Amino acid sequence: MSGFLVFIMAIVALGAGLLGWNLTPKGMNQTMIRSSILLTLTCCYLMWAITYMAQLHPLMAPRRSDIRSGREAM
Amino acid sequence: MSYPSLFRSEELSKIQLFIPRECAHDTIYELGETGNVHLLDLNGEVNAFQRSFVGEIRRLDEMERRCRLFHTQITESSPPIGLTPLSAIPPFTSVGPRAAQAFDELDDKLTEHETRLNQINSSFEVLGRRQRELEEARCVLRETAGFFDQNNNNGRGRGGVEIRSSFDDNGDGSAPLLENAAEYGTLPGESGFNGVDLEFVAGTIERSRMPIFERVLWRVLRGNLYMNYSEIEEPFVDPTNGKETYKDVFIIFAHGSELLAKIRKVAESMGGTLYPIDSDPDKRNDAMREVTSRLEDINSVLFQTGQTRRVELGKIAEQLYSWKDAVAKEKTIYQTMNLLSYDAKKKTLVAEGWCPTRDITGIQQALRRATETAGTAVPPILSELQTHQTPPTFHRTTPFTEGFQTIIDSYGIATYQEVNPGIFAVITFPFLFAVMFGDIGHGFLATLAGVVMVMYERKLAKAGLGEIFETFFFGRYIILLMGLFSMYTGLMYNDIFSKSLHIWTSGWEWPEGKNGTVEAVATGGTYLFGLDPAWHGADNSLVFSNSYKMKMSIILGVIHMTFAICLQVPNHLKFKKPLNIYAEFIPQILFMQSIFGYLVVCIVYKWSIDWSQSATAPPGLLNMLIYMFLSPGTVDPSTQLYAGQSFVQVCLLLLALVCVPWMLCLKPYMLWREHQKIKGQGYQGIGSGSNGDDGEPRLSTTQEMQDEEDGNGHAVAEAEEDEHPFEMGDVIIHQVIHTIEFCLGCISNTASYLRLWALSLAHAQLSEVLYNMTLERAFGSTGIFGVVFTVIMFGMWFILTLAILCVMEGLSAFLHALRLHWVEANGKHYMAGGYAFTPLSFAAIEAEVEE
Repeated sequence: MSGFLVFIMAIVALGAGLLGWNLTPKGMNQTMIRSSILLTLTCCYLMWAITYMAQLHPLMAPRRSDIRSGREAM
Repeated sequence: MSYPSLFRSEELSKIQLFIPRECAHDTIYELGETGNVHLLDLNGEVNAFQRSFVGEIRRLDEMERRCRLFHTQITESSPPIGLTPLSAIPPFTSVGPRAAQAFDELDDKLTEHETRLNQINSSFEVLGRRQRELEEARCVLRETAGFFDQNNNNGRGRGGVEIRSSFDDNGDGSAPLLENAAEYGTLPGESGFNGVDLEFVAGTIERSRMPIFERVLWRVLRGNLYMNYSEIEEPFVDPTNGKETYKDVFIIFAHGSELLAKIRKVAESMGGTLYPIDSDPDKRNDAMREVTSRLEDINSVLFQTGQTRRVELGKIAEQLYSWKDAVAKEKTIYQTMNLLSYDAKKKTLVAEGWCPTRDITGIQQALRRATETAGTAVPPILSELQTHQTPPTFHRTTPFTEGFQTIIDSYGIATYQEVNPGIFAVITFPFLFAVMFGDIGHGFLATLAGVVMVMYERKLAKAGLGEIFETFFFGRYIILLMGLFSMYTGLMYNDIFSKSLHIWTSGWEWPEGKNGTVEAVATGGTYLFGLDPAWHGADNSLVFSNSYKMKMSIILGVIHMTFAICLQVPNHLKFKKPLNIYAEFIPQILFMQSIFGYLVVCIVYKWSIDWSQSATAPPGLLNMLIYMFLSPGTVDPSTQLYAGQSFVQVCLLLLALVCVPWMLCLKPYMLWREHQKIKGQGYQGIGSGSNGDDGEPRLSTTQEMQDEEDGNGHAVAEAEEDEHPFEMGDVIIHQVIHTIEFCLGCISNTASYLRLWALSLAHAQLSEVLYNMTLERAFGSTGIFGVVFTVIMFGMWFILTLAILCVMEGLSAFLHALRLHWVEANGKHYMAGGYAFTPLSFAAIEAEVEE
């Protein structure tokens, strides 16, 4: 199913990380920039993947009691 | 040589400098300008008063005091006198052969300015006092003239009687007589008022003392007086402290010199001032004229003196910053020279200190420059020392990383060359903050604040800010990153000021044409990015978001802690302690992963299974973990997550159990064996407690004490090093504490990460409540009232959003992120046993001069 998206995004994040690693200019802050890029990608990917996976196979459906006559626009 | 990085602290070398006395001053000056040598105190046993350059420092202290005096006088003067900024003043020659003379001249100049200023100030004060006295005299004259005139006018009628009646209050029997006499008009006559020789005392007294004064006089004179007073409307200002005092003019008539003397005494004792007033109106007019003209004279003199003082202060203000700067630097130089050991015979100073190895060439250039400016032939000599002392820790920070490094440094200064968590905190800190603060709107406000502070960095840095704002300004890059990450996590939580965004196709559809409680129908898709907006406003949205956020906190926490444990490895490799890798790192990581790593895997696995197709109901993971410990080997088939679960769990549990004795015993045993081997080689002795004469430490310095664990490793090769004797008991106790701390810590720290869930939940709920209480109420009302109400409610909502949700919640999330970094992450790998590198630098002095 669409669970593969998690792996696809992992590969995308990995690719972005490699790209960032290689594109970082040499200089005083090289290590800092590289570690920051990798950590940012990891954190953001993790957050997204967790949110996505938590909704992949929902165990319950949203329920509301304040709906009047059909679908109410939010 | 590679570039310096924040990953490890800078490599430092111990250097020794031999500085000829002639160029010592200029050498220290140059070192201060370069700002990368940390000089050590070589006269530790000598107290501050016995050092070589105490005289110079005392003189500079005096000069500093004078500068401070000028500064306060200049800032207190009104209208304010502008101080010329340091950059606009031609530099003061504080180096070179003429420097000493320049300082002598400066000292003279400061003394001269001080005496002149003191003279002006004292004469200003004297004149001011004189002026106040004259003004009071004038008031007294004016007011008493009023009394006399009044009395003269109605003296024919009741005035005279009134006066007499106050004499006769004692009731000595003459009162009715006199009253009658007045009635029949047989009084000696109006002319008698002056003729009767009624004597009086006039003066001024503070208004608050007036009632007491009156009462005291009444008692003392037994009522034998007539007193009159009036208030002076304008206050008298004391020029020295600017205090306002209101005064009253009094005039007291009494009879007899004795009584008058008493009145005078009482008045003086109560702080009153007496003025000689003549009862003759002509003489009073003369006195009035005289006082007025003298007052005019004094006023013009005062004005002149004030002008002279301003000119004098203005002249000082032009140069003051350069003087202050020069004096402060000179004082630092002599204080530094006091740290060096001075050989008076050879005329050389010997300095020892630490400097970054990569900066040694720069320092040598500075030394050459110093020789040139001093104009001496013999240059200072720099030599690198071999040492076993631990150098201080020096991280080269930029304005961007400075704030993050400070967060780590407040936990503890890194041990020399160990992995610095500061480099990772740059991202992990704002990220963990954002997990708790996730809201696009609030994140945007924080970002905005960060961007503004970064853009106007220069201006804001120069402008004097309040202490609180300065703290925020110092963390401007932290705020910026926290804001950016909060926007990202806000997007994930789908929260913007407690509302939701609907960007992608929702995974849920609300069925049409139904009333009452409805349940959404899944469309089969999943919302691509973030939380599905269908959950927003749903009755059971909290149930879902709690489960999601709780699991997320556990996953993020376990990953963060695993990362922290892994940071041990580069340290053990760098410090060549392979034992620590297989006796500490490996069992720790196995213990962690076999319990909490397994939990994370189960969470992800449970998410990936489509339970609607499955034969069994989805099991509760918390119960699974609890029963993994309580009843190992048996899993209820109805709550089974996957086949073979019980076997896997037993294996993991056994692995975790094995790890405990592994952590506990292996390291002490290996250390003990190594120690026995060394003893067997016959090198036992140095510092090993049994023979007392060798036991004492060889160097007096204590900062380079090694940890117990490597206590004996270097004894063979490096006899120079001072070290602890090998104590088996210490090693065991240390290891037991370490093991217990880790195993219990694993559980409590994982639970501690649940604060991510709690705070983000609280934040979301609070912002929703705030919105419902303010803005939503306003949207219902219509008409002109509705408009006004909406505007007011919007203002309230916005202000409360800023104050409570952004600032207060932000601070609380900041503190929690701080704790997660200090306790949960740093506790796993950060030794923090170093001391800070504090180089001699003039940069801070320059900033301080223009405070």
